[in-house]
Amino acid sequence: MDTRYIGKPIKRLEDPRLLTGQALFTDDVHLDGLLHAAFLRSDYAHARIKSIDVSEALKRPGVIAVYTAEDFGDYWHVGPLQVPPPIAIPNAKFHAKGLPPIARGKVRFSGEPLAVVVAESRYIAEDAAGDILVDVEPLDAVVDLEKAFEDTSVLIHEDIGTNMAALVKQEKGSYAEAAAKADFIIKRKFHIDRGSAGAMENRALIASWENRTQSMTIWTNNQAPIPLRNTIASNLGLSDSQVHVITAFTGGGFGPKIMTSQADDVLLPWISKKLNRPVKWIEDRRENFLATTSERDQVHYCELALTRDGKILGFSDVFYHNTGAYDPYGMTVPLNTMTHTMGSYIVPNFYTEVRMVFTNKMVVSPVRGAGRMYGNYVMERMLDAAARELKLDVVEIRRKNLIQPEMLPLHTGITGQDFVENVIDSGNYPETLRKALEMIGYEKFVKEDQPKLRAQGKKVGIGIVTFVEGTGVGPYEGAKVTIEGSGKINVATGISSQGQGHYTSFAQIVAEQLGVEPKDVRITTGDTDQFDWGAGTFASRGMTVAGTAIYLASVNVRKKILKTASKALNAPEEELEISGGEVRVADIPTKSIKLGDLANRANPTRGVIEPGVEPGLEATAYYGPPYGATGQGSVAIILEVDPETFEVKIQRFVLVHDAGNIMNPMIVEGQIMGGVQMGLGNAFYEEIAYDEYGQLQNASLMDYLIPSATEMPPKIELGHVVSPSPLNPLGLKGVGEAGAIPIPSCFHQAIENALENKIEITASPMNPSRLFELTHK
Amino acid sequence: MKIEGEHTFNGPRNEVWEMIRDPEILASALPGTQKLNKLSDTDYEGTMNVRVGPVSGSFSGKLVVSDEVPPQSCTLTVDGKGAPGFVRGVGHIKFEEQETNTTYMTYEGEVTIGGTLASVGQRMIDSVAKSMIRQGFESMDKALEARLANKSGQQVEYKPPTETEFAASVAKDVAKSWYQIAEVRMVMYVIPAAILLALIGYILSQLLHR
Repeated sequence: MDTRYIGKPIKRLEDPRLLTGQALFTDDVHLDGLLHAAFLRSDYAHARIKSIDVSEALKRPGVIAVYTAEDFGDYWHVGPLQVPPPIAIPNAKFHAKGLPPIARGKVRFSGEPLAVVVAESRYIAEDAAGDILVDVEPLDAVVDLEKAFEDTSVLIHEDIGTNMAALVKQEKGSYAEAAAKADFIIKRKFHIDRGSAGAMENRALIASWENRTQSMTIWTNNQAPIPLRNTIASNLGLSDSQVHVITAFTGGGFGPKIMTSQADDVLLPWISKKLNRPVKWIEDRRENFLATTSERDQVHYCELALTRDGKILGFSDVFYHNTGAYDPYGMTVPLNTMTHTMGSYIVPNFYTEVRMVFTNKMVVSPVRGAGRMYGNYVMERMLDAAARELKLDVVEIRRKNLIQPEMLPLHTGITGQDFVENVIDSGNYPETLRKALEMIGYEKFVKEDQPKLRAQGKKVGIGIVTFVEGTGVGPYEGAKVTIEGSGKINVATGISSQGQGHYTSFAQIVAEQLGVEPKDVRITTGDTDQFDWGAGTFASRGMTVAGTAIYLASVNVRKKILKTASKALNAPEEELEISGGEVRVADIPTKSIKLGDLANRANPTRGVIEPGVEPGLEATAYYGPPYGATGQGSVAIILEVDPETFEVKIQRFVLVHDAGNIMNPMIVEGQIMGGVQMGLGNAFYEEIAYDEYGQLQNASLMDYLIPSATEMPPKIELGHVVSPSPLNPLGLKGVGEAGAIPIPSCFHQAIENALENKIEITASPMNPSRLFELTHK
Repeated sequence: MKIEGEHTFNGPRNEVWEMIRDPEILASALPGTQKLNKLSDTDYEGTMNVRVGPVSGSFSGKLVVSDEVPPQSCTLTVDGKGAPGFVRGVGHIKFEEQETNTTYMTYEGEVTIGGTLASVGQRMIDSVAKSMIRQGFESMDKALEARLANKSGQQVEYKPPTETEFAASVAKDVAKSWYQIAEVRMVMYVIPAAILLALIGYILSQLLHR
């Protein structure tokens, strides 16, 4: 397809503003009479609240108000759930426990808000929070995942009589039959922990109620501005049209900013309305670690049934998922694990069971990867375990089980986070593996380089894995494209942007259709007054779903242009061409009309228009896929392990990726690299460490290790395979989370290889101390 | 977090026991303690200023003495909370009379630390706790000395350390432990060396340009 803009590495239009400090972030917003909020948060992980005495705090000068749960009266409510329960899956058991905005009666995680202080400045508010006296009766903390599932001696939610949050089982075929026929059954237990999103910009919200216009304006960096607006309007008994959510530039989302039921989302609008003054809150880094959602641990008991020569007959995975103290985000994360375990491989019989457990820890919501990583980790590690026990080659055991292109589309038989069966739409799995092996020079490394380096005493290893990524899920997104009288193009869509380059990639789609340059297209995302139908930015769906809606709207605008221009220029539509911001008759360049003039013609302020014709050159379109599009790829890493310190240095990093048709290769590379950094963090550096009392031990960047430039591979070599998705006209698939998903499994395989399989890694993250312990067991 | 240790006091056991049960002495042994009120024979309450690295603030708390077998052993239960977090602990203390007119004390216990203290001060808690215990004992040694001397007629004044002296001492202890880390020492040497080299280089370049 010969295109001007689609598929081209156009430089990002928003970058000059972002790099010179000309972009508005939520914290930049200053309003007259702005008040500042600070939260008093529980130190105890599990306790009954006896009393909260705010009298001292109120005496402090500059303090306007202090609120506890009782002060909100009937307004205090729990939830609602942001993701519905998995009723689509038969026999699913689920206990809905939405997130309370502020603790009442009982505290269930360290960091849960106990009181809100509103003052003239943030400093005063925080000092006043320190004046508040809280009397609690501490209870034992529930922290052990497996124990909590059965043990009812300490209950987090007494009314349900159990700490089990959910129990969901899915099966394709029959694992029991497969196991009976198998030559070998490999069994392993894995403990996989993830961590915080650690976005550079923390959560922030400004609520500004204006009594004279009876309207509420919200500035925030939320990933779901439309659901947020609807929730706030509903909470306060207002019309949706009275609430305007504006998403400023956002310094990274990665998942946690999708929450719309946290303390700030629910309480600040109420407070602003009560005081008739704007109120602002922005998180500090410690609060971000302590009280913003993240991903937690899962414990997997896996079984792999194979034939003698390594063909997979069946896979069984019974796993525990730690959802934290409440489950407002439903089962998105464990469902993603379920749909990503079979990965790129043919698994004729698959049994998966999740035991979701409440613990006295911060609530779980997706973090880049959103549960997919656990599925990838267990399958790839099980294949490595099988290769180890059956003395098979790690590449061969993967190659012979790969799903072949002619088998697609493939109905997997497992229901996913969008509550429909996961279907793999397109792909060429053998090709991504072949390409990755070629790019890293697998044969040469294993046969020549590695033996030489090993002879010198160097512990170098190579790892190779494949991965799948479910993207572009429903329900839908929409967009409105308008050509204005000035000739400028205005595009609005409901999702919000957190740095993915939407302002450029979306403009490319429109520019291609309407014959203008991307810089002439103004994209607005996340402003509910400009467009207010949509679900939000998550699950790598921005480009695929909103992008497709933008495409469909642009196609309709193009049709209107040709129809209107045909009349204006008195020429048949087939003879018209659109480029350079104007429409002209192909052979007669003088017969032309600028797009802006055409738009004005189509929107007269006097006279009559044809009945049934819409004014102007504008179209709104919606797109919702029947199921998500599946991206895929292969990763190869060569690394070196220091035999004394067990520090690991990556020498080469290859990632071959298939995300269908690529809109902007430069932006895609950036997305993959960002994902790789987070994947590396999960493999070797990042861990949210709670002690046995539910106390968070590393709530600062001093102790929570986010990989920096020195930990990254010297170069990320990217390869591309293109299998367009048949699910949308542009053949797009999502790519945002691809980089993060396969890293821990590949990294750990490479470490085992470097240490000549003298250890076996069954837990993530690893770090030098743990490697040392494993080697010296 | 488990804490355990031992200390030898220069005095007979019953004197040591009486001293331990004197709230004035206890309060002074932990400087930063603003007050320690005796609610009953076994219950005390008070406030204390604490600093662990970047985290500081005042704690209010209760101390309960139980399972007393004077002058042999007892259990201390502490429950303190404040803006920086909370500290809860249970400790068992044993005293053994030695022939040399000294008392051998052992203690072991479990302490839970929560809040900002735990999540930001974690890496310093160990060294600060050790330092506080060490200084507490030093202070109590001096108090015991004064007490025994006064009993025998001599006038010896016991001056507990001030809060600033205490904080400075803790900081010194923590810095000393940091200094034992090779990388820290290297940085301490490398930086002045680099500055010196740069200075020499600058001077030389100036001379050469003349």
